[in-house]
Amino acid sequence: MSRRPPRTTLALAAAFATLAGCAPRRAAPPPDVLVVSQEQQASWVRNFNPLTTATAARWPTLAGIYEPLFVYDSAQGRMVPWLGIAREWRDAGRVLRVTTRAGVRWSDGRPFSAGDVAFTFALLRRFPALDRRGVWSFLDDVRALDDRTVEFHFRRVFVPGADEIAAQQLVPEHVWSAVPDPVTFANEHPVGTGPFTEVRTFQHQVFELGRNPYYWQPGRPKVRALRMPALPGNDAANLALIFDQVDWAGNFVPAIDRVYVRREPAAHGYWFPLTGSTIFLYANTRRAPFDDMRVRKALSLAIDRALLVDVALYGYTRPADATGLSDAYSGWRDSAAVALGDWVRHDPARASALLDSAGCRRDAHGLRRLPDGRPCRYDVLTVSGWSDWVRAAEVIARGMRALGIDARVRTYDFSAWFEHVQEGAFDLTIGWSFEGPTPYTFYHWLMSSETMKPIGTASMGNWHRFASPAADRALAAFERETDPAAQHRLCAEMQRVFVSEAPAIPLYPGPSWAEYNTGRFAGFPSRRDPYADPSPNKFDAGEVLLVLTQLAPRTSPR
Amino acid sequence: MRFLLRRLGFYAVAGWVALTVNFFLPRLIPGDPATALFARFQGRLSPAALQALRATFGLTPAPLWRQYLTYLAHALRGDFGTSVAYFPSPVLSVIGTALVWTLFLAGSAVVISFALGTLLGVVAAWWRRGWVDGVMPPVLVFLGALPYFWVAMLALYGLGFGLRWFPIGHAYSDDIRPGWTVAFAADVAAHAVLPVGSIVLANLGGWLLSMRNTMIAVLGSEYVNLARAKGLHPARVVLRYAARNALLPNVTSFGMALGFVLGGSLLTEIVFAYPGQGYLLLQAVRNQDYPLMQGIFLVITLAVLGANWLVDIVYLWLDPRIRDTAS
Repeated sequence: MSRRPPRTTLALAAAFATLAGCAPRRAAPPPDVLVVSQEQQASWVRNFNPLTTATAARWPTLAGIYEPLFVYDSAQGRMVPWLGIAREWRDAGRVLRVTTRAGVRWSDGRPFSAGDVAFTFALLRRFPALDRRGVWSFLDDVRALDDRTVEFHFRRVFVPGADEIAAQQLVPEHVWSAVPDPVTFANEHPVGTGPFTEVRTFQHQVFELGRNPYYWQPGRPKVRALRMPALPGNDAANLALIFDQVDWAGNFVPAIDRVYVRREPAAHGYWFPLTGSTIFLYANTRRAPFDDMRVRKALSLAIDRALLVDVALYGYTRPADATGLSDAYSGWRDSAAVALGDWVRHDPARASALLDSAGCRRDAHGLRRLPDGRPCRYDVLTVSGWSDWVRAAEVIARGMRALGIDARVRTYDFSAWFEHVQEGAFDLTIGWSFEGPTPYTFYHWLMSSETMKPIGTASMGNWHRFASPAADRALAAFERETDPAAQHRLCAEMQRVFVSEAPAIPLYPGPSWAEYNTGRFAGFPSRRDPYADPSPNKFDAGEVLLVLTQLAPRTSPR
Repeated sequence: MRFLLRRLGFYAVAGWVALTVNFFLPRLIPGDPATALFARFQGRLSPAALQALRATFGLTPAPLWRQYLTYLAHALRGDFGTSVAYFPSPVLSVIGTALVWTLFLAGSAVVISFALGTLLGVVAAWWRRGWVDGVMPPVLVFLGALPYFWVAMLALYGLGFGLRWFPIGHAYSDDIRPGWTVAFAADVAAHAVLPVGSIVLANLGGWLLSMRNTMIAVLGSEYVNLARAKGLHPARVVLRYAARNALLPNVTSFGMALGFVLGGSLLTEIVFAYPGQGYLLLQAVRNQDYPLMQGIFLVITLAVLGANWLVDIVYLWLDPRIRDTAS
């Protein structure tokens, strides 16, 4: 019995050694195959369904295989015509007419038409589980007038809805009309209009998408194929990046200059534009004393944001201004509102004075008490494991304790945290904000009575439960306004309301993570050439398409 | 035979208990799969999407007991439903993708460390105070006592990252096509050296020590003395008389270890970006993917029970005392 194991072991070990010895050395991928790391998965499941709301579809599906009508370029703040070339409002803003691009073909050679657009939207109506953007909450009907014209009829005038329509990925009617259940359809052999549609190989560890033979942009894409290796976590993904095994990634890399850039300064680059979601400290405005804007402003003044962005985010971002707007809305930012928002500096003395004036005075032990005598003792909620938030919460709590508020950081598992936050069962919490092409979505979820649910009812946003009549007026007017100049005026109005009432406390604009290796490919967006957002994470509304169609292999390997 | 049947009955009950715990445990976690998926996006997903997500997964408000009955019925038919994290793949096919690599990675690691550790234990006990006995146990136990995560990272950093002797991740190179070729086997072996090696290193000490200690006790017993007195060849005394009996506790542990193989080696898989069950399970928990969790737990349970069943059979053969009582 026991005489057998040694021989087996030795044989196994020997086989291992010989086999391992003759394995090839690490080989670089072919020169025109772009290696991308965006999703972090241990193995791939073949799913190219662009309509399922689950995040189950592989990364290139939403912005590589399929395309929307218009692509929003958040770095430039403009809409880029894509499958649609023009859109105009008719019938006093109740009808949106979109002209589609001529000469576009699906990857099976069949022509793309306005009928496909109408079909896609009809599909979303028939299967509400697919209506990820909630377009049928404001749409009434979608019709194709001819091959190149499609009309969207609105239930009410709702101008921001045009941006939701613009971002919807479109599917071919001749394929999807035969799909019995598009919700669970895995779409293993995708037919799309995008630059990369041909599945060259699909294995558990890696898959590759080749060029669409009929792509509508002549001479594009210049990259021959996309390759996606399965990397299960941030560490594995970063290691592959540092080792030149990945050309483009959207990971968080700590101390990136030392870890990544310095290894090969000529090729390794990154650009983290501050176009991500702004991170806020939300105070529950239904609970005393946070119903008093003086208290909210005092809390904000207590936070040392310069320290916070250094400690929490490695200095990759800057303190937010009082409008809360990230750099994705640079064109909308109103300098008067920013100047008015003097409550985002670090000024403990003023914070103390504001708290005193709000009736929260220090007792004999230095602890502040509410006018009714209750002590100011609060938890700052955050998600366990989200280390940037946890560190930010520590800085915040420290600032508050210096003011005599007994603030403690409390971490929850995501689900538990989300439940507390959604139901309004918190005093203070860190949280994200909502994004869209215009600041409308952002402010709508920060201070509109439409988004404010009562305490105890789960709410998707507006967790701090704030509504302001002035904000409602500006938002409602914005919904009906098609003129850009007037839109900007209304947006400035929203900012002034936000800055004067301080519904929530902005901390910092979130960076959009993007690392690139220019050793094999050129054309990544960068600080010097900011033609689009550089991150592969911006796929949801198709922005990645701007980059994928721009990248080109270097002809001579350096 | 009656012994084996009785054991089988016991396993059936254990299986049912596991299935039930399987069902209720994940549901004690607050939140639901749609919320968990939402987390990955940190606000990059519109709030309307959460509604649509809930609709996609068909989160039903049916009473728990009815869900439980449906679940039992489906489980008996081998239908574990659709995975949430890997929507819309069926759970079984998701598990299938990882199962092969888990069997290979953790299986070969367990077999190698059991065989090598037991052998070293025999050697250490026979030549007591020899160099194997003096050096190996403390060194291996020391290595085993270090946090595995740290050892694995160190191996990855030193041998993979620094010296570049071994690949830094995956079960095989991206450029190679899987198939029954020498090149592929070589590639797989090269990728397995660090993960398998690190697990073996971490576990060897335990196997060695337990074998050595039992072996020493057995070597002092009367029947071994008798065997020696009869003038039997030392090799025969060690292997047929001592080792065979000393092996029993290790065989039990081996059965256990073999069963847990299907649970995957979570840390190994994460550090070496190796595909497998452990990472899958982590994904499932993170995404509150009840169907996938249930599927994986069941596979693990069945494997543990199956391995124990095998151990029972091996015991019958190794230990005449059980054979006697059983028949």
